[in-house]
Amino acid sequence: MTRRAVGVLLFAVLVPATARFQPDLLDVLNEGVEVPVVPVSATFKDTRVVNVQSNETAASGVLHFVIAHRFGRLNEGAYALWGLDNASMRMAFDYGVTDRLQVGIGRSTLRKTLEASTKLRVLRQTTGGRTFPIGLTLFSSVFCDGLRWTEPERTNYFTSRLTFVHQAIFSRKFNDDLSLVLVPSLIHRNLVPTPEVEHDVVTVGLGGRYKLTSRFSLNGEFHPFVTGRPAGAQPSLSLGCDIETGGHVFQLHLTNSSGMFESAFLTKTDGSWGNGDIYFGFNLSRVFTVRDR
Amino acid sequence: MKTPLLLVCALLATAGSAQQFMTRAGSVSFHSSTPVEDISAANAQMSAVLNTADGGFAFQVPIRGFHFEKALMEEHFNENYMESEKFPNATFKGNVVGWSNAWADGKPHQVQAKGKLSVHGVEVERTIPATIQNKGGKWVIQARFEIPTKDHKISIPEVVREKIAASIPVTVNCTLDPR
Repeated sequence: MTRRAVGVLLFAVLVPATARFQPDLLDVLNEGVEVPVVPVSATFKDTRVVNVQSNETAASGVLHFVIAHRFGRLNEGAYALWGLDNASMRMAFDYGVTDRLQVGIGRSTLRKTLEASTKLRVLRQTTGGRTFPIGLTLFSSVFCDGLRWTEPERTNYFTSRLTFVHQAIFSRKFNDDLSLVLVPSLIHRNLVPTPEVEHDVVTVGLGGRYKLTSRFSLNGEFHPFVTGRPAGAQPSLSLGCDIETGGHVFQLHLTNSSGMFESAFLTKTDGSWGNGDIYFGFNLSRVFTVRDR
Repeated sequence: MKTPLLLVCALLATAGSAQQFMTRAGSVSFHSSTPVEDISAANAQMSAVLNTADGGFAFQVPIRGFHFEKALMEEHFNENYMESEKFPNATFKGNVVGWSNAWADGKPHQVQAKGKLSVHGVEVERTIPATIQNKGGKWVIQARFEIPTKDHKISIPEVVREKIAASIPVTVNCTLDPR
């Protein structure tokens, strides 16, 4: 009896070791391996959806150069070639200090505005071993109006030129194609037209992209006011597409905002889509790797 | 008294017959060279296993483990070409043809590994030449082969076709320890 038991035991132990019992070698490779935490990448193709910041920042050591144009209004008609006769321009350099921190400077022809910004990825959406559903990116910028004083004879303060914008960009890449951002913005204007006007404006914007191919997506964004809506201001609404070609991203769009920087498109949009006050425009970005990773 | 002794012997026999050699830190690199642009990437997260009982061999390479000189190249590699979210690993599973235990003589041997290479979710039957050498109880494996992007349905758009080679030479280097 005991011998038989030993025999059975031996059989049971030895047989798995013979060549007849072969676990799949690929399974062997994955035995006991922790699933890595993978940060979700390429939520958007560029650092902006259309006008508003996306969650993306320039990678560490990368200089991201943007040149953007907004032409005139489509409803200017054939005489102005549906707005193409006029253009306003913005140029910007954004630099990735780390993969999470970006600093930038920019200049727009609109009110000769100079800007300086920082953008920090606080939380990253992750998959794999530990999943986190959203990303959070913070953006702060200061804008300096560069036009000459309209009344140089009175005492004018430099601080009157400044406007500050703070944004929290909540982002989620739902799948390969669909990504959305929810962007509450606080805009503080040091100088307002009359004492009754509030200095602070709050908007909550929604933006997104839908990829039709791996290199082409449709984009849109909308920024309704929450408080402090300036008289005559319209919520900014933009629709467009991203076209990616190697180191460039072309963004073509239609928007009711002529301004390409936050304080302008969030608080100074005066065009109405219904009236055809629509500006055609583009952003063109190019990356340069200026520091080894 | 007899039974535990036999059991121990049996367990030892089992341990001795586990003829698997393995690594999780093998390296893979590739280099795409065209007159317009040179692109190279390296990955040190390859895992590989060799069964010296029968010459069974497999490796697995996490696509996200490839690192490029330029961040944007890495993003495009994952996002546009390899679709690493859908196909996180490249794998090979097969056999070293005509496996012989006589190869464990410390000298390098030219061998061929025959099996299925899966890249970008597309499996292709391949015979890959390699050099194996037993060094101090470890197996050192080196291989160089080409991966034609077309075979694995990796689409390269017209605009960048001049920058990316149609067939990518890959180099594999790993040292497998006894398991």
